[in-house]
Amino acid sequence: MSCFEGQLASWAPPAHPMTVSSTQTIAALVAEYSTALYRVAFSVTRNAAEAEDAVQETFLRVLRHESRLGEIRDYRVWLVRIVWNIVLDKKRRAKTRPEGEDIADHARALPSSDRAADATAISSQEQARILALIDQLPAREREAILLSAVEELTTAEIAAALGTTESSIRSRIFRARRELAVLLEKEGIPR
Amino acid sequence: MTADPMHHDQNLNPSIAATIDAALRTVGSATPASGLEGRILNRLASERLKIESEPARSPLLRWLPARALGLVTACLLGFVVVAGSVTHSRRIRPQLVAPPSLVLPGQGIGAASAVHPAAPAPVPAGQPGRSARRSGPGRARIAPHTRKAPGVAVPAPPTKTASSDSQN
Repeated sequence: MSCFEGQLASWAPPAHPMTVSSTQTIAALVAEYSTALYRVAFSVTRNAAEAEDAVQETFLRVLRHESRLGEIRDYRVWLVRIVWNIVLDKKRRAKTRPEGEDIADHARALPSSDRAADATAISSQEQARILALIDQLPAREREAILLSAVEELTTAEIAAALGTTESSIRSRIFRARRELAVLLEKEGIPR
Repeated sequence: MTADPMHHDQNLNPSIAATIDAALRTVGSATPASGLEGRILNRLASERLKIESEPARSPLLRWLPARALGLVTACLLGFVVVAGSVTHSRRIRPQLVAPPSLVLPGQGIGAASAVHPAAPAPVPAGQPGRSARRSGPGRARIAPHTRKAPGVAVPAPPTKTASSDSQN
């Protein structure tokens, strides 16, 4: 079983719908999706505290609209859309965001095996520079490539969260990577 | 199937593609600080307590202060507009010395049969009509000593020729 299949297996929707109380439903949603939502938020904020705030805000909104929980078909897409809107809204308000340090913090927080693998692949400075280049991409391409980085999200779910089609998402990711490669060659990031 | 970006670009330079993948992997596999779920649940619990402790108010009551404030503001605005309009009208109204008096004849009872004391103003005789006035020959005349701006060519006044003299 591949790494992605393993992730998917652990991502089966929680067995809750409306047979249990909404409190239990929300608790199940927190247990199931909080990490993925954190990653979605972190891909935009690049700041651990802001990402956690965004996840908490997401579930607060769920709590405020708990009467609508029964109408939701796909909780994962719904929650990703909520957290995505929250972080984009925060980003719009903040305009500037601290980067770099949190990427380094995150690199330290990675499990040791992952950290070793990534340390051989790329330094934290290079990560910061690449993420800065990603921020220069057009919004559509940037959003698609950032969400594609979140391991738990499928192309279909990214498409649903962004309100577009899977083929559109694939072409956006393709364009984003191509433009990113051009920018990297211009910058001359050493390998 | 995940949105695996690594299989989208066979044409990219492999080292650059690996760099991009590594950077994206770092972002996409970010791990929250331990205890995230507990913190979220605690916050949700406190939020639920707050919601439940709030007195249940209907949406009408919830928006009542705002509506009342809007109504008062609208009334004040209307009063200001009407008062300003009335003041302005009084200022520009022509001063009436006395209302025109109607002298009713013996049989008439309505305004149509009334005798209006204000007779039409007679036109003074002996004056020519406005259309009969002449303003001159229709040619502009420039005094001979008029100061002219430098560079402006001004035609010389017409000289009397023999033919025009004979005509006159």
